[in-house]
Amino acid sequence: MPFKNLESILANVRAEYADLRYEIKKEVLIVFSGRELTQISSSTTDGYVLRVLKNGGFATVVFTEEKDGQTALAKAEENARLIGRFTGEPVHLASTEVIQDSFSPILNEDPRTIDLEEKLHLTRSYNQRPLQKEKIVTTQIQYLELVREKFFINTEGTRLREDLITTRLGGTITSQEGSLTQTVRVGMGGSSGFALLRNQQALFDEKTALALELLQATPVTGGSYSVILNPNLAGVFTHEAFGHFSEADLIEDSPSMLEKLQLGAEIGDPGLSILDDPTRPDQLGFYKYDDEGVACRPVPLITNGILSGRLHSRRTAARFGEPLTGHAVAEDHRYGPIIRMGTIFIKPGQSDFNRLLDQLGNGLYLIDSLGGQTSGENFTFGAEYGYEVQNGRLGKMIRDINISGNLYQTLRNIKGIGNDLELSQLGGCGKGQTNIRSCHGGPHILVKDVVIGGR
Amino acid sequence: MMEALLNKALRGSEQAEIYRLRQQTDQIHFENGRLKEMESKMQSGLSLRIIKDGCLGFAYTKNLLSPDDLVQQAQDSLQGQVEAPFDLPSDPPPLSLQTFDPFLFKVSNAKLVEEGRRICDFLKARVQAQVNVSLHRQNQEIELVNNRGLHQHLINSSYFVNASLLFPGSQAGIEQHHSAKGFSEFPEETLLSILSLFQQSLKELRPQPGRMKVMFFPETLYALIWRIQAAANGKNIYEKTSPLLDKKEALLFDSQITLYDDPLNDAQPQARGFDDEGIPCRRIAIIDRGVLKNFYYDLFYAGKLKKEPSGQGFKSALWGGETVAIKPRPALEYLYLQPGEHSLAELIRSIDRGILVAGVLGAHSGNILNGDFSIGLTPAIYVEKGEILGRVKEAMAAGNIYEVLKKVAALEDTAHPTYGGTFPALLLEDVNVAW
Repeated sequence: MPFKNLESILANVRAEYADLRYEIKKEVLIVFSGRELTQISSSTTDGYVLRVLKNGGFATVVFTEEKDGQTALAKAEENARLIGRFTGEPVHLASTEVIQDSFSPILNEDPRTIDLEEKLHLTRSYNQRPLQKEKIVTTQIQYLELVREKFFINTEGTRLREDLITTRLGGTITSQEGSLTQTVRVGMGGSSGFALLRNQQALFDEKTALALELLQATPVTGGSYSVILNPNLAGVFTHEAFGHFSEADLIEDSPSMLEKLQLGAEIGDPGLSILDDPTRPDQLGFYKYDDEGVACRPVPLITNGILSGRLHSRRTAARFGEPLTGHAVAEDHRYGPIIRMGTIFIKPGQSDFNRLLDQLGNGLYLIDSLGGQTSGENFTFGAEYGYEVQNGRLGKMIRDINISGNLYQTLRNIKGIGNDLELSQLGGCGKGQTNIRSCHGGPHILVKDVVIGGR
Repeated sequence: MMEALLNKALRGSEQAEIYRLRQQTDQIHFENGRLKEMESKMQSGLSLRIIKDGCLGFAYTKNLLSPDDLVQQAQDSLQGQVEAPFDLPSDPPPLSLQTFDPFLFKVSNAKLVEEGRRICDFLKARVQAQVNVSLHRQNQEIELVNNRGLHQHLINSSYFVNASLLFPGSQAGIEQHHSAKGFSEFPEETLLSILSLFQQSLKELRPQPGRMKVMFFPETLYALIWRIQAAANGKNIYEKTSPLLDKKEALLFDSQITLYDDPLNDAQPQARGFDDEGIPCRRIAIIDRGVLKNFYYDLFYAGKLKKEPSGQGFKSALWGGETVAIKPRPALEYLYLQPGEHSLAELIRSIDRGILVAGVLGAHSGNILNGDFSIGLTPAIYVEKGEILGRVKEAMAAGNIYEVLKKVAALEDTAHPTYGGTFPALLLEDVNVAW
């Protein structure tokens, strides 16, 4: 059905440009809270996102029902005119190829072909593993399957159909002793199909052991430390501390950020290179076209310490006079696209882990992320656990670790880069909308002088 | 339509409930004093719950493309045998509240843009800094019916405006918030208070970190109160993961702390007479003068624990989840922290050495259930001998609420609506601060 109906909604548009995205979203969710199954559902939702560029203003209207199409169009035109009148700087869109394509990723087991019962069985079997242990008091384990069937048209003639299929299974394991609880994240997932979720018993056992061990770990003492971040944490750091500032929409109206983030600026240690590459196949962050119908491409963001690229939508690419990258992505049919990272990572270097430890001497080795947040050049993120390091040797286990720092100082303070590379299977970024396919990673890295908030 | 769907759903089950939501929203965003974005939404959706043989089935949709498919999906989910330890309620309609302002959507978008420009111009004329302003209005209609005769219906309207001044080179700054059921101008005195605090804290300082007095502004208090919400949540009581399990009637905090949930206060936008399961709402004390009084429940966890549902089952989610897709869960959506006796200025003057927390980062990290927090401060405003001297970049505050809230210096005499609840500023005696 969709293209014809979409064309009829756009038929009466009076504007320089318009696009319309219709999505059918299918979600399967199985949730265990401890031993208890608390939700199992498979549901389908749909909706429309309309964008209109008129008189230099660009406006978005989201609607659920097809019958509201003409009302939405009138509203979008009115809002666009208002923006055009007051924005002070008319919007232009970078020109892009007109594409007609239909793309569905190659999957190792399509989750849609697997019975709900089998999904339930697999989720239950993983969930039971930690719960067999004494001192594991609860778990939150869920299976999520999310299929976005996207139909996109614009007034330039682009007609696109792309399916994004995400499966993941995981959550948290909680241990308790006396009044102390410790929670550890566990899970796997991606864009490459259901097979990835099978045979992961060892991962659940390993994380269960960690939740128990953390009960005995020492709370870290607050202060300034040099640290080694493991690949997961290096990825979160890359995403939070730097990645968001390569998103053009986040910095475009901040004169002081723009001044510091000119392409060609020396921004990091010469050993540091960072790339965003959604085209890397089989990664969580993989896609072919963004939600403006632009084919995505790899973007070198930092090359040998020099700022070398930025992530763009059609609007920001035109405003900055920089190349299109295909990074305007929406959560689903409830949102217009915003600029998002795809698969962002630090390029591996030369050092193996032992060399990094030697280089560190005294400090902390921090492992796995508990989420992070950015505000301007400041960032904060939590580490699940870590170890004290003395004279290059791992010491006792530590917990309750939150790291904060300043973007520019920290990029210069990355003084060692490992020769390994690991990309995350569980992403998630909440920049106004959620992006469950946000993928990040990197090698082990050594960072000098970060602030750790202790108890 | 609701009746027909209900009857269809009852063909394979004993009980059925339909929750229907319609929303209309406009969002207007100014960045650096410039009109940047406008987004309008007209959305609807519904969710269906059925109960059969003590098991719960659930499905949801946006467009009801096929009622048969929706009912089938709910029936398919019965195979998971999710327990339904409750019956759907048959409560009569609750007190009617004044939640709707029919004029909110009569205001043109042009008028809202004009209001946004007025706020930007007011601030820009008085200070050189990045000004961000967001305006948001929403009408929301909720209808809830079940086969036991329940029929609840409400329309509410809400208008929120956020104005902030950012410090150079950062997203950290001073912000204030204005909310109402209908359109009203952002008060000038609030704008002036943003300005004054901003100007006093412009200078960057690097004093000695350590333990000191810390004042959380209303907009940042959610970071601490989140920990209480988690610990008093019926779900965590049922799962025995809450540190408060056997602490009812225990003195947990300083006696100046009184925290309650009051969905019925229709002086504020989005008041509710019933929760998302149809249970009448009421005012419930969580903490009274430092003493833990109540946990809170939805139907599921009330049933599990053999308690009365407290009217606090809401389809709410962090990070803007899709309402119809979410099952009701215990939630404190209408928190109030009782104010104290001193003005904000008096509180600041009473600080010999300490910081004011005007923004927080990373409140979601750390061991929330344990009450631990370790948060970035954006910014930390430094006070010595009762005077604001400037601000500290990249500061963090860390501790545990069961320690720091035992030593409350004072609370501000006015509570302010924020996204997390209606709170006064809270001055703590002794918190560890690092930078």
